[in-house]
Amino acid sequence: MAVPVNVSTVVATEREQVRSRRSRGAGRGGREARPPSHRRQSFGLFLTIVPFLVLIFVFSYLPLYGWIYSLFDYRPARGLFGSEFVGLQWFRMLVGSPTQVEQIVQVMLNTLAMSFLGIAASVLPLAFAVFLNEIRAKWFKNLVQTITTLPNFISWVLVYMIAFSMFSSTGMVNGLLENWGVISEPLKFLDSDEHVWLKMTLWGIWKTVGWGAILYLAAIAGIDQSLYESAKMDGAGRFHTMWHITVPQLMPTFFVLLLLAIANILNNGMEQYYVFQNAFNRETIEVLDLYVYNIGMTGGNLSLATAVSMLKSVISVALLLAVNALSKRVRGTSLV
Amino acid sequence: MSRPVARRSLLAGGLSLPLLGLGLSSCSSGPGAEEGPATPFPTAWDDQATIDVFDGLANQMGEQPGWFGHLVADEFALTLNVIAPNVAGGGDTLYNTRVAAGELGDLVLTDVGQKLDELIEGGLLMDVSSLYANMDSASRFDDAVQKVNEGKDGIYAIPTQVSSLKPTEPSEGIDPTFGPFVRWDLYKEVGYPEIGTLEDLLPVLKEMQDVAPEADNGGRVYALSLFNDWDGNYMNNAKQPCCYYGYDEVGFVLAKADGSDYQSILDSDSLYVRVLQWFFDANQMGLVDPDSTTQNYDSLFSKMQGGQVLFSFWPWQGQAAYNSEANMAEGKGFMIAPLADQKIFSYGAPAFGARQVFGVGSTAEDPERVAAFLDWLYSPAGVYSNSSQTMGAAGPQGLTWELNDDGKPELTDFGRDALLGDGATVPEEWGGGSYTDGASWLNVTTVLGNDEDPETGHPFNYKMWETYQQSVSNPLTEDWAGVMGGYATTMEYLNDNDMVLVAPGASYVAPQESSEVETIRNQVKAVIVENSWKMAFASDQATFDALLKDMQETAEGLGYQTVLDVDMANAEEQNALRESVAAEFG
Repeated sequence: MAVPVNVSTVVATEREQVRSRRSRGAGRGGREARPPSHRRQSFGLFLTIVPFLVLIFVFSYLPLYGWIYSLFDYRPARGLFGSEFVGLQWFRMLVGSPTQVEQIVQVMLNTLAMSFLGIAASVLPLAFAVFLNEIRAKWFKNLVQTITTLPNFISWVLVYMIAFSMFSSTGMVNGLLENWGVISEPLKFLDSDEHVWLKMTLWGIWKTVGWGAILYLAAIAGIDQSLYESAKMDGAGRFHTMWHITVPQLMPTFFVLLLLAIANILNNGMEQYYVFQNAFNRETIEVLDLYVYNIGMTGGNLSLATAVSMLKSVISVALLLAVNALSKRVRGTSLV
Repeated sequence: MSRPVARRSLLAGGLSLPLLGLGLSSCSSGPGAEEGPATPFPTAWDDQATIDVFDGLANQMGEQPGWFGHLVADEFALTLNVIAPNVAGGGDTLYNTRVAAGELGDLVLTDVGQKLDELIEGGLLMDVSSLYANMDSASRFDDAVQKVNEGKDGIYAIPTQVSSLKPTEPSEGIDPTFGPFVRWDLYKEVGYPEIGTLEDLLPVLKEMQDVAPEADNGGRVYALSLFNDWDGNYMNNAKQPCCYYGYDEVGFVLAKADGSDYQSILDSDSLYVRVLQWFFDANQMGLVDPDSTTQNYDSLFSKMQGGQVLFSFWPWQGQAAYNSEANMAEGKGFMIAPLADQKIFSYGAPAFGARQVFGVGSTAEDPERVAAFLDWLYSPAGVYSNSSQTMGAAGPQGLTWELNDDGKPELTDFGRDALLGDGATVPEEWGGGSYTDGASWLNVTTVLGNDEDPETGHPFNYKMWETYQQSVSNPLTEDWAGVMGGYATTMEYLNDNDMVLVAPGASYVAPQESSEVETIRNQVKAVIVENSWKMAFASDQATFDALLKDMQETAEGLGYQTVLDVDMANAEEQNALRESVAAEFG
């Protein structure tokens, strides 16, 4: 299977390029002015980054070689070069009929919709941290933080078990509602295609909001206390300091995390949808990674799956550029 | 996971192509195949060994425990490490991963046709020609072995479900594979109403559900309870009633056993859509378990054991779950309640074995021992011990059964407890543990249970023994026989009333299809399964109709017609083969 370019690699490599451009410039400028010993020194510095360049090459660029699978009719038993070379057949198939295109569009729509809902929800950990920070009772603060962080360490399979025991047709919620006489037929929480995007986002928030707040709490601890003191002397209230000091001070952290969150949504967004998928919600829950998995692993066509997964690289780059533009507009500086 | 392998072969290819060719050819011959022994297999083995058995039919994974494990260790000093893709889940994921790694298992159970051919081409299976010479038990069915290996450069595959029965005779023993089986005690309570056709079953089930709304275990009773983990080309449950009318699937085609009709399942008037409508109606009547959409086979089975389900699509399901000796003594259990217009599909004894075949992996360290074990599976001792219990395997002679004074096979007291009662604990010298837990995990029938054991002259299947049939009469079967006209078994009743349609066992294998067709098939499958479930649980008739239309259009758009043409041709070819086999053997 192809491993598409992931965003962090792009970031890292572009940074490398910037760095190497700079060092090249420095080298040119220094050639006449500086003694040769400086060149040796910069070569030494260059050597220190070589291991990382090698790592990036091995783990981020070499896997791109896997894209070649999309040009073959790959049969595992025969090996890649025992399989037939089919050129662009799989790509043609993807756009071959309106229904195929419709499916891809639907998958893209699911991916982007849930990604952006997730991104929109990424202000929640920040808000949560800001408010949590205002709590004076330390034991209560710790308790809340522990309870909200815990779900992050539960695997999605177990989350689904919890969801199933609570929300299945014979689950706790339906049982209670039936006992109370609110409903006569069980409500279908899990096996229906209504509000799937929203439901999935809510599960995601429940699982990650506490964990996400940790970094912000650390960042808050690092804010210069004199800022608060001077603000208070100027008569700022609690909400004023939160809004005018804490939040702006957290912005750099927020944007870096936002960037990482986007990369993570695209790379790790599968297990959740995989465990929650069923015949009733598949149409609206199938994200790109899951679609690739369903075609490649369940459907047994690794070549077509490779072709589809290349789409993921396209989305990755598009999202990265979108966030970068946002960052430029809000903060005046770009991230990459 | 497949990447490193490919990268390796790229390097090899880049260095020198001849080298790559060399690598492949050295793979396909495999160790020990050529210098195989001409002497018979040893009777004792010194060192203990473990072999990987890749078994596409197994439902348990890990080392074979219990009495069967003990037996194999005694005979061959072998431990079987069963690798079960069914347990691992995710379709062919496990298969593809292992194949890409170049090692599927020491003993492999795979499908004839595309999979087998690819494994041979890829050098993953060994030519066992020289070992086959010593496989006395398997070579009793030499015709079938030669047929499967036709056109291949050696002996790579040993077919399963071989028999010496005529292909025009049912391969099933006393019950068909499919059939409308209901809780007979409740059917009796509502007065044995006659059932004209499939649709007439619903009001009867409704009455039965109303009579017993709650099971003994306190759970709510539903007439129908469905599950989704066996879904393939279709929603599995919805295909079963099609078999009550003599149809079986060939891809997206429903083909009648006698070749008189072929239906595209998506046609609005197809039997499949009729069954979906039937499910929908049942659900509207409150007959369908709401857990159906999320439960799997195991949870359904335990509900059946608890008496919470009143209809079984198959005899071997409901009866295995509920017809315990205790229940039957009270007259409770699953029996067939015939539909007046049924023509139940029956698989004829396969002339050349079933789809699944055994092969020996090319990386097997001790191919001789693997072959000896494989051969044992075809010997009477192996057949009795290995075959799955639902197929009527009696178990090892001396433990569960023995020859009585008249020389007829008869279950021992232990055997009756183990096979018909609530289970039994195996004596220590046989390996200990519960009998059921210790049964063979291979879940494959090597020789058909209806076939005659050459040593006793009676069938392998204990349910067909006279001694068994005389001894198991109970209030349930007596009541059933009384109503049905004195028949001893379901098969006898069906045969006499012309309610069974035997498809001659032609051992047909569909030709390899292009990856493109396969891919479209997989996409369409997903659409069909998805929409079928939605249709069965649709809120009203209009939604049902809209979903049907949506299913037809989406499938059509994905290229359904292309796949259907392939399947139609296959179905017709299969029928031609059936006719020729029937003419040859019949």
